[in-house]
Amino acid sequence: MIRRSLAFGLAVALAASGVAWAQQQQQQPPPAWAQGRPPEMANSRLAPHPPRLTVTPPEQVPVAALRVPAGFRVELWAHGIPGARMMTLGQNGTVFVGTRVIGRVYAVTDEGGQRRVRTIAERLNQPNGVAFRDGSLYVIAINRVLRYDGIEGRLDDPGTPVELTAAFNLPPDEHHGWKFAAFSPDGRLTMNIGVPCNICEFDRDRYGLIVSFRPDGSDRRIEAKGIRNSVGFDWHPVTRELWATNNGRDWAGNDVPPDTLHRIRRPGEDHGFPFCVGDWNDPAVPRRNCSEFVQPAASLGPHVAALGMRFYTGAMFPEQYRNQIFIARRGSWNREQLIGYDVVVARLDAQGNVTGIEPFLTGLLDQANDRFLGRPVDVLQLRDGSLLVSDEQNGAIYRISRAQ
Amino acid sequence: MTFPLRSLAAVALAAAAFLCTAAGAGGNDAAQRGAALAEARGCGGCHGERGHSPTPNVPSLAGQPPEAIVLNMILFREGLRDAPPMPDLARDLTDRQIEDLAAFYASLPPGPPEDRGAPDPARMREGALLAERLNCGVCHLPDYRGQNQVPRIAGQREDYLLLSLRGYRDGTRRGTDTNMNAVVYGLSDAQLAALAHYLAQQGER
Repeated sequence: MIRRSLAFGLAVALAASGVAWAQQQQQQPPPAWAQGRPPEMANSRLAPHPPRLTVTPPEQVPVAALRVPAGFRVELWAHGIPGARMMTLGQNGTVFVGTRVIGRVYAVTDEGGQRRVRTIAERLNQPNGVAFRDGSLYVIAINRVLRYDGIEGRLDDPGTPVELTAAFNLPPDEHHGWKFAAFSPDGRLTMNIGVPCNICEFDRDRYGLIVSFRPDGSDRRIEAKGIRNSVGFDWHPVTRELWATNNGRDWAGNDVPPDTLHRIRRPGEDHGFPFCVGDWNDPAVPRRNCSEFVQPAASLGPHVAALGMRFYTGAMFPEQYRNQIFIARRGSWNREQLIGYDVVVARLDAQGNVTGIEPFLTGLLDQANDRFLGRPVDVLQLRDGSLLVSDEQNGAIYRISRAQ
Repeated sequence: MTFPLRSLAAVALAAAAFLCTAAGAGGNDAAQRGAALAEARGCGGCHGERGHSPTPNVPSLAGQPPEAIVLNMILFREGLRDAPPMPDLARDLTDRQIEDLAAFYASLPPGPPEDRGAPDPARMREGALLAERLNCGVCHLPDYRGQNQVPRIAGQREDYLLLSLRGYRDGTRRGTDTNMNAVVYGLSDAQLAALAHYLAQQGER
């Protein structure tokens, strides 16, 4: 079982506490995760949880602990995929899976009711973003874009990808530099460009964005600005509006600010980072009137790491789930008590207002012992209407279906 | 690339010594498999038969947290950390073999290399101040024995510590994240040398 990381980190010379965060950045940059930590929290033992980069044997994957609502069933769909994160579906049914630290991209295929896992790319710098269009797989690492043409016909020998890095010209920053990527309904390759810090002032036309491109990397367009780091978005199946999750900043307290869900009605609007989250003014930056900014569609909980999200369009689940949003919450580190480690459903009414956030997949958070068993990162609907959930910590993918 | 093979006598001695400690630890199949694999691969030729490295710029592995060894071996195998010849040596290892090796070295009692020199008072003072200022003992723990993916640095080879610190400072090395790079950002060669000296002198004497 996975222990909570003991005080991983805290290594920085925040002994110089009392110095404003901006000055600290200039003198000696703290590790990115520790930026913005106030002096009174300098002795905090909170730190990111260690990754697991080795195979979790299937008998150790905590599938027996998983809980879904009555009428659903959950099974272990694929395993042996260390670091499994974002997922995308090929036209022949291949599930492509991106990672961060381990630098790989996987392809998972169903062969006679069994899943086969191949590593189709490796040695990449956080290839978190995977997107599929017209037979090609697009892989987006930090500051790198690769296209694998005809990939589903050559999974055993993907060949040399087409290098699109120069055309996209993404910033090289490591922190929040990993991407979520997806094609919009009108065929634009869309991705996040996170802020290279926890909380800071930055070029707001270069970072804190969701941007889209033509598939060749041309015609960059800002879809949303003032979004700290979105690692999951999707387009409403009816309205075609872009909806996105966003990670709130660390070190502002156990319960503020929340991670948020954003409804992006018009390209280019400002959603408020670093100044506001809803009506909350971030005390670390100059005060602005929060009514200047688009308000979030919903709060998703403090520090929960709301990541992959997809609208449900299948026929397998009951009608009440149609056009609702499944959201994976990877789970907190910057909070005294763990929170998240689940999949929730955002309920939308006919006008697109969020009426509630409900639990859907639970069981990976052991609250009694304040430990976690796994970390859901993304959700993906298969053609049969079942829902896949990737678990980065266990290198596993679960499948949720309607009970027969 | 070839590595010195151990003599049969040394093999037998190491195995016997290991079995004693492993039996005491109980249920240590992984460590036993790791011992056999380390023997077969000649890891001890550079890292020392009991994990106390006699080789300049090669780390001691005895008593390291298993996660620290696993993560570095994965980085080697995946081509994400370059420190020849380790990427080549790790290329064909399975996850289980890596975990076994880590269990083996974690089970060995830590200690300084035989060729450790005497402490130099001036560098010890400067190193202690730096270790305090940089909060090394928070992640590596106050006695620098390490935890999870954070390695043991107490009693590590001084030349290896200096090599690592320079690599982090100069951006030629990073871990599973970039925390160490930020910690040693902007330090001078003399400061890194003092820090390496101080940490190498920690632990059992």
